[in-house]
Parts: sequence; C-alpha cells; structure tokens
Amino acid sequence: MNKKIYRNVAIVTAAFAIALAVMLGVSWWQSRRATPLQTEVMTTLKELNESNPDNEKLGEQIRELDLLSRRAYFTQERHLTAGVWILCGMLVVLAVCLRMYYKDSMHLPDRELNPVDEWMSKTLSRKYLGWGAGIAASVALVAVLAMSPSVRGWVKSLVTWGDGQMSEDGGLLAADDGGGASDTLLADVKADTLRVDSTLLAKDEAVQDSFPIPKITSNAFRGNNSSGKSSARGIPTSWNLKNGTNVAWQKTVPKHGYSSPVVNGRNIFLTGADQQARELYCYDLYTGELRWTVKADRIPGSPPTMPKVNADTGLAASTVATNGKVVCAIFATGDVMGVDMDGKRLWAKNLGVPDNHYGYASSLLMYGNELIVQYDNNGGAKLMALSVTTGDVLWSKSRKDKIAWSSPIVAQAAGQQAIVVMGNPAITAYSPSNGQELWRVECMSGEVGASPCANGNIIYGASEYATVVAIDGKDGTVLWEASDCMPECSSPVATKDLLYVATSYGAVCAYSTEDGSVVKQHELTTPFYSSPVVVDGKVYLFSNSGKCYIFSAGKDFNLINSFDTGEHTFATPAFTDGMMVVRTDKSLYVVKKS
Amino acid sequence: MLACLIPAVAGAVARFPKPDFTSGYQYPEIVHGVPFETLWSWVDVVLLVVMMGVVVWAVYYNPNLASNPNFNPNPNGWLSKEKRSRVAVVAVSVVSVLYFGFFRSGCVCSVGAIQNVVLALTDSSYHLPWVVLLVFLLPLVAALFFGRVFCGGVCPFGALQDLVNVRNLRISRAVSGALSVIPWIYLAFAILYAATRSQFIICRFDPFIGIFRLGGDVGMIVFGAVLLLLSVFVGRPFCQFLCPYGALLGLFSRVARRKVEVTPHPCINCTLCHDVCPMDAIRPPEANKNPEHRQRGMKRVLLYMVMLPLFMVAGALLLASQSQTLSIAHKDVRLYTLLQHADEPLAEVEAFHEMGRSEEELKVKVEEVQRQYWIWSLVAGGLIGCVVGIKLLSLTLKRTRKTYEVDASACVACAKCFNYCPQNKKIN
Repeated sequence: MNKKIYRNVAIVTAAFAIALAVMLGVSWWQSRRATPLQTEVMTTLKELNESNPDNEKLGEQIRELDLLSRRAYFTQERHLTAGVWILCGMLVVLAVCLRMYYKDSMHLPDRELNPVDEWMSKTLSRKYLGWGAGIAASVALVAVLAMSPSVRGWVKSLVTWGDGQMSEDGGLLAADDGGGASDTLLADVKADTLRVDSTLLAKDEAVQDSFPIPKITSNAFRGNNSSGKSSARGIPTSWNLKNGTNVAWQKTVPKHGYSSPVVNGRNIFLTGADQQARELYCYDLYTGELRWTVKADRIPGSPPTMPKVNADTGLAASTVATNGKVVCAIFATGDVMGVDMDGKRLWAKNLGVPDNHYGYASSLLMYGNELIVQYDNNGGAKLMALSVTTGDVLWSKSRKDKIAWSSPIVAQAAGQQAIVVMGNPAITAYSPSNGQELWRVECMSGEVGASPCANGNIIYGASEYATVVAIDGKDGTVLWEASDCMPECSSPVATKDLLYVATSYGAVCAYSTEDGSVVKQHELTTPFYSSPVVVDGKVYLFSNSGKCYIFSAGKDFNLINSFDTGEHTFATPAFTDGMMVVRTDKSLYVVKKS
Repeated sequence: MLACLIPAVAGAVARFPKPDFTSGYQYPEIVHGVPFETLWSWVDVVLLVVMMGVVVWAVYYNPNLASNPNFNPNPNGWLSKEKRSRVAVVAVSVVSVLYFGFFRSGCVCSVGAIQNVVLALTDSSYHLPWVVLLVFLLPLVAALFFGRVFCGGVCPFGALQDLVNVRNLRISRAVSGALSVIPWIYLAFAILYAATRSQFIICRFDPFIGIFRLGGDVGMIVFGAVLLLLSVFVGRPFCQFLCPYGALLGLFSRVARRKVEVTPHPCINCTLCHDVCPMDAIRPPEANKNPEHRQRGMKRVLLYMVMLPLFMVAGALLLASQSQTLSIAHKDVRLYTLLQHADEPLAEVEAFHEMGRSEEELKVKVEEVQRQYWIWSLVAGGLIGCVVGIKLLSLTLKRTRKTYEVDASACVACAKCFNYCPQNKKIN
C-alpha cells in the first residue's frame, strides 16, 4: 500500500516537475533575450528628450519608466530563482519517493547490455571515438578554411560580383549613340557608369511598376568612382523653381549640410547635421517622399559635444557612398555608419574625432566591399578601407601628408584599378587590395580642398596656390603643369581632350589635356564651390549663388545656357536617367522634363 | 561544445547600461569584509585528510586479517569485519555535502584547484595559496596509495550525486567508452583558459555550485538540477562523463599501491557487484568470442602506436588554428572586439573610454594574449590528440579475465558493492 503511495506521489511530482521545468526554461530563455531598456517607447522618449532637453516632465517620465523596467526585470529574475528552488524541492521529493518505492529492490541487477562480449564493445567504442574525432577535426578544418583570407576574399568576390563595381563587363551599360558628345567622351562616360543592382531592380520593379527604375547610378560624390561624369541622358537645360517648370519636386531638408546627394535606383541619399544630431536621409527619387532618416547616435567614442567647425564646412560636408545594398555616411565627428536600403543601421563606429580647424569634409567612396576613407587631419593623415558590410578595418595606411579636405577617386594607375588621393603635398595612388602605395607625386601645397580626377590613364590634380598637374597613371610621371586657373573647393573633371576647372574667383577654364594650355576661359565673376559634371555632352555647373551654367563639352566649350535658380548651391548635383538631383543650402529638388 | 559555449557566454552583452541621467542617488560606500578564511582553510585541509582516512578505513579494513582464519576480533570493535560496509562512506558523504558543499559553498575544491595550479605554474606573479595546493595534491597522493578515495564521499559533488542515486540505468559500454575522453578534453580547455589568464571555466560552469550557494546563475542551477535528476537514475553522471579531476585521479589510481577489492574471498561470478556499481567500474569476465588472427591484432596495435604522435600533432594544429576564436574568452580580447564592432553604447566600452585608455595600447595587449593562446592551444590540442590516441590504443588491447575485477581507474571507492557481495555476507 505504501509503495503505491510513493509511486503515485513520484508520478505526480515528476509531472509537475517537468511542466515547471519547461515553464522555467521558456521564462529563462525570454529573460536572457530581454532588453528592457531598449523598448520602442523608451527610445522614442529619449529622442524626444534630446530634442527638448529642458522638459523636466519628460525626464521624470523617462526615469520612472527606466526604474519600472529595471524593477520588472529583476522581479522576473527573482520569480525565476524561486521557481528553480521549487523545482529543486520537487526533485528532492521525487528522489525520496523513488528511493522509498525501490527500497526493497534497490540496485538489483539490471539487464546487461553487453553480456560478455567486451571486444565487441571496444570495437564499437573505437568506431564512435573515431567518428567523433573525425567530425570534430572536420568542423575545425572547415572553420579554418572559412576564416582564411583567400577563401573569404573568394566568397566576397562572389557576393559582390553582381554589384558591378569595377567589373569590366558586368558594370558597363549597353552602348548608345552620343547625341552631342564625342565618341571618346561617350566611351569615357559609359565606362564610369554602373548598373543598379539587378536584384534591387527586380524587387523595386515588382513593388513600383508605375515608375521605371533608373539604370544610371550616381553612387558617390561627383558620380560613380567620383569621376565627375555620368551617362545620363535627357537632362533639361533649363528649369524654374518658382513656377515648377521641369522640376519634379522640391523638399526642404530637415538639417543643414554641404554634402552632395547620391542616387541609386529610386533612392536619393544625403546627410544633414546640427549640434543636436547627425542624420542620413533617404528620399524617393520620383515622389520626394522622405523614406527614412537614420541618426548617427549612440556610437561608442563619439564626442559628447560637437567639434568646432567652420560655418562654410559644417558637420555634414562629406558625401555618402552606396553600392545599392548599403549606404555609408561620415560626419565631422568622425562617426561613420553603414545603413541598408530599408534604413536599418548595420554598423556604426567612431574613427576618432578629427582634429580639423575647418571641419572634416572628405567624401566616402566604395570599391567592391571596401569603404575608402581619406582621413587627413592635423596630427596624422591616413587612408583606410573599411568593410562596407561590417565596418571592420580591412587595411589602414598612414600617409606622409598634412591636413586636407580632398576626396579619393578610383582610377587606372600602375596598370590596375587604384585609389588615387590628393593631399598636401602629394597625389598618391594606392592599391585597393591592401593599401600599398603604387606611386606618389609631390606637387601640391597649401590647403587642398579639391579632389583629383582622371580620364583613362591620365590623372589630374588642381588646387589653389599650388598647381594644375597631369600625371601619367602608369608610373606617376608628371606630364605637364599649369597655373592659369586653379580651384579652391570645386574639383576638376576631364574628358579625353579637355580638363574643366571652376574657381572660387569666378573663372571657368578648359585646359588642353595634351599640354596644359588654356583652350578657353569664361570669366563669370561668381565663386564656385560645386564641381562641374560632364553629362550628355554638356558640362553642368552651379555657382555658390545658385546660378546654373551649362556648357558644351567640346573643344568650343560654349556657354549653352545660364540662369539663376534662386537658391544658394554648394553641393554637386547627381544625375540619373533624365533627372538631375540638386541640393541647395535649404532644399533638395529633382530636375526632370515636365 | 565547450569551445563554442565559452565565447558565446563571453560575448554576452550587458543589458543594463548605466542610466543616461543622474538621479541623485548616493551609492553606498563599498566595505570589504576582513577575511577570516585562514582558519577555515586549514580546517578544510584537516577535514579533507580525516575524511579520506575514514573512507580508506571503511574500504580497506585489512583483507589480510580477514583472510586469516585465526583472526577473530570483537564483533563490535573497530576492526570487526562488519565495519567493511558502506555506512561510513555514506556518513562521510553527508558530512561532505553539508560542510564542503553548503557550509563552505563548494570552494575551495580540488576540482577547481587544477586551474590555480596551472596558473601558478605558468605565471610567476600569481601566488598560489598553500591550502589550494594541498587541496589539489592530497587527493592525488591518496590516489597513489588507495585509489580514488577522495571521490568516494569526500568530494561534495560526487557525494551529492551518490546520495540521490536510486537506480543504475546503464548506457552501452561502447558509448560510455567513447565518452570517457570528455573529462580529458574538459581538462585540456581548463588548462588553456587558466594558463592564458582568461577564465576558470571549471568554476564558471560548475553545475553544483549554485545549489550549494543557494543562488547564482539560473542556467547553471538548472544544469545542476538536471544533473541531479539524472543522478537519480544514472550513477554519478558528472563524475563519469565530465569531471576533469576525476580523470587525473583515475590516472593516479591505475598505479595505486592498494586497490579496492569487492571481497578478499574468491569471486563466485554472481554479477551482483557489477550490476550495483554506479561507475560501471567492475569488469566482467572476458572470454574472447571473436577470435582474431594475432597478426591482424598486432597490426592494429602498431597502427595506433604510429598514429598516436600524428593524433597529437593534428590536435595541436587544429586547436591552434582556432586560437583566435577561443581567445574571445579573454577580457582584453573581448573588450577590443567590442570596441571594434559595438553598434550600441555598451557599458564596457564607455568605461574604457572614460578611463582614458588607448586602443593602440589595448591592441598590443591583445596581440600578446593571442600569441599565448596560440602556444597553449598547441599544448591543449596535443593533449586532446594524445588522449584520443591512447584511448583508441587501449580499446585495441585484449585482456582475459576469469572473474569480476575492479577497474582501479574508474572505481570511486563508494563501497556500494560490498553489501551486495554474497562472499562478504558469508563472512559477516
């Protein structure tokens, strides 16, 4: 009779213990994953608090919520611990009941699994051990292979192959007629134009079949590879912001910035910043809808107070870069981040607060999975390649240069695709695979704000109070130098025959790429910070006052049209199929034939 | 599994960063209690010796006297044959669980002391307390003379499992034979992490410490509870398949001066002792049912002997190849990784910046740690390869037994078999 009681108690206890163990396991798993202080409500309240720092009620509300969250979490922890002790108690009861139940038959012989044949057991043991060791070794080997740089590089190349970055065949658009531009110029333009990621096209086309997805991208400052050239067609040569002629839409940008817009697919990316926040914006190319905003906040190492910057530079002077999957942005605080096309922040880090008396202004550039960052500041200059997807430093090279505000480009140098960087005092070509210096030409001086440009194997550099120089990309030989017309902030652009330069004192020149002689010069008496872009056989250029000048991109270099847009413009426009995206000091607008 | 678990645990992030605001709360001043450990530590050592002595007395009463027909002691005296029973071992087990377990909170224990000794051997700046050294050495010395008497009831972990054990459900000896390398692998990783000053993983993943301390990490308490539940039906699962110190003691017990005998009288092959043994340490009579050509057997033995150094080299290289991944268990490597990858403002990263430390300085430290990891991964991997090779070799050797024999390396001197042996009952 007693044995039955023990058995029944054991069964009931076991059932309760199993149920309780499952509940405790689930609860424990949930508590391990819980992030009680990172709720949506808390985040929203903190954001509100940042924008309204004087609102004491809001602060009090956050404190109460914080306290409640912590209290709730630890109460749950206490309940969990109590549950574990109840479970232990149940197990003790179970053990006692079982012991009493089996009291008379404790340790009676069990069924012998391996009656006598120990040799068979040993043989099986050897087999199990051999298999176990083999599997463990195989896993370790696979891990070793997976972590080896060559295999990772191979996998990365497979992943990034579809992006078309720098690929010779996949990256080119189908040939088309020049329509006003010379064949050579058209070839140059086409070679610098990349496809929009095909998967993105398919995805977006399925969603938005009412608008065609533009095939022409402008993935960085002054277009793809920072070349200053675009294969876009059908860009209007006049528009009017007041009456909306040839203007698709115009939107006010929430925060100020001198960074230029970039375009990939239907997305326009640009940055803005003030003392309160640094933000990356994504606008819809067709509707002007602000699709998302991502803040560069809560980044380890980010300075609590903004670095002092010149008003002409601001905190968001650097242009973002994208590959159609990730867009990366950098700010004057040294904060850099990667964000996917849906506005999800993938990574963020601080590269060290730049010691820069005007403010950090170099723009980003992507090469395959590398995010190229020119970080020339007081106290040290370096060129870094970060992983676009993770932000990891892939390589970093110290430079012998001084502070500069120039941006890197991709060009042909030393018989390969190279990263070309202009600084003080040198123009330097680096291998993108490991940052190895390919050649270095010391020819610059002063404050270098413009960026280099290239056409084929020839690389050009120009900076005020220094020189205009043409360098043979193969070996770094200086082909010619000139000093007639030199830019301060505006970067030059080169075609096969001409090098176009816009200065801050109003002169716009076309140099012969043969010998550096000035072919034609326009005295326009208005400063230019924005850079000229060669597109559709024309050169588009904005003055600081917002006047747009359109020249023919030929040896005649005639002024086709000029008109005042009415808004100060410092950024360089981005071009895509039949559209031009312009950022002014207040707004963003798209020019498109009405 | 352990290698995966440690980086995963190490990579866990704090979910409660410091509040973003100042609340005016005054943190109480931290007061460090005056240590009163010295006396208790020596009590630990004395009790350890005494309790091992009791187990020795209970297990090895004096077979020579018992087999002497002229020996006729007082039936109620200390030397009587009736004392050759499990009662004294159970009493020691209860005292051990209460004192070493609950009262002393399971620390210092001989199992965890392995790590202190390894650290002291590899780092001259680490001061190894004498008590810890004694707690580590005494059971090993005892094992050289009497086998694993420490495991019998003095170790609180083994004692706790032993006290709740009701049934002995056995798993296949083929499986348990293969699993017997796990304690050695655990030992290899414990050495690796201790020598690199990363973690004392034996202490960190001690399944019973939460029970003895009536609190702690919920995950480990649940693990301990599951092991205890398992102990009800399976004899000493922790001792059989996990305990790294048990592996060492087993090695020493192989050459013990005196080994546990079920009975001083001739075995009658009744199988009772074999079936009752919680550690499956009593080997049945072995008759070779699968006659194999001697030359073939010799070839296999020679093959494994040749393979042994290859196993060691392979193990060393494979583990060394994973040394960078394993090194995440080290606090500096973890911090450096957080600095490189953290998207969120983690408390560790904030503290690092607030202390004014430079990343370059940390990077130098991390590189040194990773160098050490590479070296010690070679050692640990070599040890694992060696253990696997020797195990395979031992599984290749054939032995003939005519009666039930105690495997000295597995026997924990729990004395359970004594009461079941009909020969002992006949004596009684």
